[in-house]
Amino acid sequence: MAPPTANPDVTRELLARLWERSLPVVRERLDVLDSAAAAAINNALTDDIRSHAIAEAHKLAGSLGMFGYSEGTELARGIEVLLESAGAPPADRLSTLATSLRVSLFPSA
Amino acid sequence: MRRILIIDDEDDIREVAALSLESMAGWHVTTASSGAEGIRAALADPPDAILMDVMMPMMDGPTTFKEMQAIPAIAHIPVLLLTAKVQGVDQRRFAGLGVAAVLFKPFDPLTLASQMSTALGWTT
Repeated sequence: MAPPTANPDVTRELLARLWERSLPVVRERLDVLDSAAAAAINNALTDDIRSHAIAEAHKLAGSLGMFGYSEGTELARGIEVLLESAGAPPADRLSTLATSLRVSLFPSA
Repeated sequence: MRRILIIDDEDDIREVAALSLESMAGWHVTTASSGAEGIRAALADPPDAILMDVMMPMMDGPTTFKEMQAIPAIAHIPVLLLTAKVQGVDQRRFAGLGVAAVLFKPFDPLTLASQMSTALGWTT
């Protein structure tokens, strides 16, 4: 049971402000995933690019749901799993997931 | 008032968790952005519980927890690990460390405090 001090409305409002403030970082992380997908398509996915993309996908997976973007968390988790799998990741699938993730967060972009 | 120390290298996670615990439970929250900083903070002002990320650079959550366990002044403080890893093998490994609980990212900011209270057996 929530304590007497609980204030969901204030919490939601402050969360919305935090989301706005975190948007530049979120966009940078999406760019990293797009770059990894492009590299995979061009057979140029190096270990460094891959490791960086795994880290950014992991961070997105762990944070987007806090702001209400549950689908974003699932898509980011899918990218993380794909990149962590042994061998070359399926480039088309990676690209589709990266695009879907961006659209799920910024549908009108 | 409960006092919580949040240790996480990601700014947004720290901020959302702090906001959540302060506004939903009225707890007093302090934060640290690394395991080493967290140990220093816990020693300087021991909290009632520590909420700590698993994956952090330099010293990860499990390593930080082990370091804390070796320091008598803070070894008694319950630690809740926070992880975005969903595989069962990871969950079992973290739970086997002896932490109070393993919680999962992304957490719901509206229920994080109640999740922690339940895990810690706190009634208020």
